[in-house]
This record gives sequence, C-alpha cells and structure tokens, in this order.
Amino acid sequence: MWSGFAVVFEPQNLLWCLLGVTLGMLVGVLPGLGPAATIAILLPITYDLEPAPAIILLAGIFYGAQYGGTITSVLLRLPGEASTVVTVLDGHEMARQGRAGPALGIAAIGSFIGGTASIVLLSAVAPFVADFALKFGPAEYTVLALIGIFLVASLGNGTLVKGVAAAAAGLLLATVGSDPMVGEPRFVFGSDQLADGIDFVIVAMGLFGVGEILYNLEHRQSASADVPAFGRAWPSRLDWLRSRLAILRGSVVGFLLGVLPGGGATMSSLVAYAVEKRFAADPSRFGRGAIEGVAGPETANNAAATSSFIPLLVLGLPANATMAVLYGALMLQGVPPGPALIDQHPDVFWGVINSMYVGNLFLLLFSVPLIGLFVRLLKVRQSILAPLTVLITMIGVYSLRNNVFDMVLVAVLGLLGYGMKKLGFEPGPFVLAFVLGELLESAFRRSMRLFDGSLLGFVTRPISATLLALFVIAVVAVPLLRVRRHGHLDRHEVGRGGRDDAS
Amino acid sequence: MQFTVPFPPGGSTDLVGRAVARAVEKPLGQSVPVANKPGANGAVGGKEVLASAPDGYNIALLVKSLFAITPLATKDQTAIDLDKLKIVGTLTTEDYVLVVNASSPHASLEDLLKAPSVKYATTGVGTGAQLSQALLFKSAGTNATDVPFDGGAPAVTALLGAQVDALAAAPSEVMQHVKAGKLRPLATFNEKRSSYLPDVPTVKEKGHDVVVDQRRFVVAPPGIPDAVAKKLADSFTAARKDADYDKFLKDNFVERWEVSEDEARQHIKDARAQYAAQVEKFGLRLGK
Repeated sequence: MWSGFAVVFEPQNLLWCLLGVTLGMLVGVLPGLGPAATIAILLPITYDLEPAPAIILLAGIFYGAQYGGTITSVLLRLPGEASTVVTVLDGHEMARQGRAGPALGIAAIGSFIGGTASIVLLSAVAPFVADFALKFGPAEYTVLALIGIFLVASLGNGTLVKGVAAAAAGLLLATVGSDPMVGEPRFVFGSDQLADGIDFVIVAMGLFGVGEILYNLEHRQSASADVPAFGRAWPSRLDWLRSRLAILRGSVVGFLLGVLPGGGATMSSLVAYAVEKRFAADPSRFGRGAIEGVAGPETANNAAATSSFIPLLVLGLPANATMAVLYGALMLQGVPPGPALIDQHPDVFWGVINSMYVGNLFLLLFSVPLIGLFVRLLKVRQSILAPLTVLITMIGVYSLRNNVFDMVLVAVLGLLGYGMKKLGFEPGPFVLAFVLGELLESAFRRSMRLFDGSLLGFVTRPISATLLALFVIAVVAVPLLRVRRHGHLDRHEVGRGGRDDAS
Repeated sequence: MQFTVPFPPGGSTDLVGRAVARAVEKPLGQSVPVANKPGANGAVGGKEVLASAPDGYNIALLVKSLFAITPLATKDQTAIDLDKLKIVGTLTTEDYVLVVNASSPHASLEDLLKAPSVKYATTGVGTGAQLSQALLFKSAGTNATDVPFDGGAPAVTALLGAQVDALAAAPSEVMQHVKAGKLRPLATFNEKRSSYLPDVPTVKEKGHDVVVDQRRFVVAPPGIPDAVAKKLADSFTAARKDADYDKFLKDNFVERWEVSEDEARQHIKDARAQYAAQVEKFGLRLGK
C-alpha cells in the first residue's frame, strides 16, 4: 500500500492526477458532456502512458466531475451532472440568499471527507477480497456477470422494461465476432473487420460520446448571464454544526450505494437528501436553503464515486457506465481488473487508490478559486463545442487500430445512441451489458466444460453458491426497491435535468 | 516507412515487432514507426500490407500460426497466400510449455497423460497452445477437455487457482510463476529442449510426435524490386545482431529463427501439412 504513495508522488503522476481532476471539474460544469463520455473520448490518449498514470488520469476525471457538477447546480440551477440534481434544491436557494460561498464550501469539504472515507474503506476491504482471488473460477465469474447485468439493467434511470431491453440489445451486440469456444464467426458478414468482435471502446465512444453530443445539440442549455455573488467560501460555525452529521451520514450512504452495481453517485445523492430530511429537526427548512441539503448529497455522491471503484478493482465488475469505460481502459493497458489485480499489479492498484487522496485534496484546494473560470466556460456555444468533440472522438477512434472502418462503426453507434436516448432507452445498461456479456458467455461456457455439462457445479462451489443466493435475493428485492425509490423521485423532481450517465 | 504489426499493442508479437523495429533503424538509415492493426490473428493488417505499394516502405510482421493453424480452424476464402508475399527476414521462434499447478498430483508428463480426466486451458481458439495440447492428449488417448481463455494472462490465472489441470503457453507468460515455484513445467512442444528450460523434456522425447511452436517473420508486398528486397533483408540481418535486440530476446525467453526465405517458406508449408494431417488423423475439430 505504501508503495502506492511512491507511485502517486512521482511528479509526473501528480501532474496526471491534477490534469484528471481539472478536466473532471470542467466536464462536470458542462451539462453536455459527462465523465463516461469524456473518459471514452480520452482513452486513446492514454495508450502511450504507463497503466498507473493512465488510470490515475481517468479516475480523476470521474470524481472531479462530481465537484464540477455542484458549481453550476448551486450558482445557476443548472446541474452539470445527474448526481448533483438534488443539490439544486437547497444549494441554489442558498445562492439566492447570497450564501453561494458556504454552499460550495460545504460541498467541497463534504466531498473531500466523503471521498476520503471511501478510500480508507476501499483500502481496508480490497486486500481481504484479494485473498479469495484465485478461488474465483469461471463459475464465480458467470454469477458475478449475471448479478451485474441484472442490477444495472434494473436500477437505471428509465423504466425497468426499457432498461432490460437495452441490456438485451447490448448482450446481442456482444456476440458479434468469433465464438469464444469454437472460433466460429458470428454476425461478421464475411468481414475480417468484425472477426474479433467490436471493440468496447468503439461502443462506448459511439453511444456515450457521439450519441450524447447529438442528443445534447437538441437540448441546448445556455447559462443565464448573471451569476450570483458567492461571497466567502468558508462555512460559518453554525453551518458547520448543522452539516457535520449530514456529512457523516452522507459518507455512509454514499459508500454503501456506490458499491452496489447500478447504484452509484446519482442514487446515493437522492437517498442522502431523503435521509437528511428525515433526520432534520425542522424538515420545513429543506428547499429553502438548508445547508444539510447540500452537505449530505454532495458528500454522498463523492463517497459513491469513490466506492464504485471497489467492485471494479476488486471483482472486475463495473458498477456503472463510467466504471465500464474504466474497465475497458484497464483491459487496454493489459491490466485486467479482477480479484488478481491487487496481487499482480500492486503499483496500479495502490497507485490509483492513493492518487484519490491527492486528487481530492487538489479538488478541495482548487474548486472554489476556479469557479469564476468554469462559469465562463458555460458560455461556449454548443455549435463550437460539439463539432470539436466529435473531431477529437474520431481521431481517437482511428488511432485505436489505425482503421477507417472503426470510424464508420462509431458513427453508426452514435446514431443508435441518439435514437435510444430520444426514445427513452438508457445507453448505460446497453454498454454495461455489452461489456459483461462477453464475460457472461465465455465464463458460462467454460464452466460447462469444467463441470462436464452439469449445472450442479454452480451450487456446489461455495463462493458461486453464495453469489447465486445474492442474485436470487436481488431479483426479488430490486422490484420492491424501485417502487420505493420512484416515490422519492416524484417528490424531489427537479425541473431541469442534468446528465445521467454518471450512475 | 511503415512497419505494420497486425496485433494489439503490448502483446508478445507487438513486443518482438517493436524490438526489431528499433534495431533495424540504424542499418536502414531511417526511422521505422510501428503501426498496430490488429484483427483475425494478423489477417487484417496482413491483407492491408499485401495490397500496399511494393516500394519497400510498407512491411509487416506476420506469424506462422496465421498460415499453419488458422486455416485449420476457420475456412476463409480470402486468406492471405504466403506464396505471394516476399519474406524479407525471419526473426524468432517461441516454444509452448506445458505447465501444471505446483500442487498438482501430476509430477510428470506421463502422470498427466494417465489421469482419468484432464481439463486443459488454452490461450484461445486456433492458437498453437490449443493445437499442441489437443494433439498431445489425443495421441496419448487421454480423456481431455479444452477450456479456451481469452489470451495468456487469464489462462495462467485460472491455472494458478487450480481451476484447470494444465495449460500450454509461451515461456514469457509462465516463466515468472515457474521460477516462483507456483507452476511446474512438464514438457515443451519444440523439436529441441528450450534453452531457457534445459531440464524440461520435449513431448517428442517422451514418444509423442507433436511439435508446435510460434515463429515470426517480416514480409513485404508482392512485386517488390529485388534490390529493395535485398536492402531490407540485409538490414534485418544486421538488426538481428543488435545488442538491445539480443537482450530483449533473452529477457522474454524468445529464441532465434534465422533462416533463408526458401527455408522459411518450406518450414511453414511443412508445418501446415503436418498439422492438417494430424488433425485429420485424430479427428480433431479446432474450429467448427
């Protein structure tokens, strides 16, 4: 673990970390671009980096975005990220009362504490799980993939049917290419180009990158001209007294929900808000500038952003869309995420985790001073930003395999992503199912060969049996959870939606 | 100049390609940038170079398995014809090592072949790792099932966790675990013993006529002028003497394969014919 700090404090890695969180704040501010899209677009740039700095940079974008989204929620009532939508309620109200400073200040402090608490817990949990690493065989991965796909499809933001439909389509697309067991080409139409299947990066860039850009062109959100003065950022004594328990609760809520596949930052911020309201002595203050209503959710979304790294780094299971893109990034670096990661690539594992301490510190120090700059960025027109982003995406795609065919694929998938969003299908479940589909199929078929074709093997192996039991519980519990959550959503509905690919 | 390596960056073929690209810059007197164009075991990038201008500025690194094994697994009407390509340099040969977990009850090749049932991992369909083991277990009459993984690393992890009973992989993929005492090498599949594992017998020594390896060589498009081809060939001959290249080979447990173009062509043809005959004889199905 300490060697991880040595990795982080290499000047070059500090710089990548700083660049990552700054970029993250930037895309957090811009409503048109989420962390999943940004990371997908920047993937090719990381090819020439070592694995540790590459992932440090990309991870920084993810948790940095949670900070950035807050700024516009508070100042402009314009959530940059879905996970900061609920912050608008009390955050913007505080800004209208001339208390934007303390709102942003407490969000930054809460985020720092929530993020740090999650890193500490992550560091504690990971080695424990890694002990089981080699006990994870194809059977265990089969069940893990099953759990992941189910939770992601059902816990998304849209309806259950649409989430499952999108996931099914993703599973179907994952079958393109050579059959993993017998090499038979499937859906390749006699083309070498598709013989190895479709690269995950292309799917992510198409659906998250180009698809989102197209969709956002229709839904232009321009910033209001007047930014309220935000005064001094340091919260007062009373603010602090009111917030400290909210920060504590937010850390716990965020950590727990972040670990859950399909949970993540957005859900945890909503739950944290509901929790604060329930714990409050005077719930009527909420919606009128209660600082707990900012501190709780903001702490929770950052804690969740950090703890969602746990399933990825420890089990190789991406918990949300951004983690799916990071999964792809790790694969590209030749560092497959999973239980063996901590053992085989300790420099990457601890380097990335420990970089989060530093990154959160950077964010705490820089987020408030840079607010003025970020707000001005919002005035850049979509008509300039969108073509530029598409251009960068296309250059990145080409650099993947030096292949023009891939650019055509991204364009096609971009159109698909646009169509999906338009019809209310989330690209998130699609992309995650695409990633996990390959794992599910090959792990299942490997298991079948190892068990001589008998399904009993799944229940006689202790870890796979336990996971299977969890899966059954999830299948039963999730529909119930959904009912409850939608109750909350209705009550806290916020007029102007942010982006939702963060969760 | 463009040196196409039709495999993903970071893989073993890419590493060989980059090492020789660096070494050949000096004798060629110009920089040799590597372009990765992966897909279909080298077929995607290979076809591109085949169709490019035969001016000596477009060359590619190809592998023996694309010509000797891939055709046995998949029927591709548009497969690259080796006869059309000009081989301007032969580079390396890499063994396959048969390993078991150190805790395995099988102390020797004989033990493993006598086991009532063997689940063996391969590094993918249509690879030398699959062919070598399939032929070995078939010829020995062992009741064995292949479990393909997606490349070397996951297959090695599965063997370390004793999820499977055996695995054949390149030395670079297993040597660190062999040295750490976690995996036990039982045999290699080459004609001769590996210089990196001199105590490990070959499968052939043990009486099984199975010889599988991976070889790599540099090709140019058809119709390349003789003078240009000769300059390239001479440059690669010089590059193979490079000290850094030598160190790279040793660090990665790769052996040299340095023969004439005719010998290389003959070797690959023979290997293909032999594999085809053995696959036929044992009724093996690599692909469909």
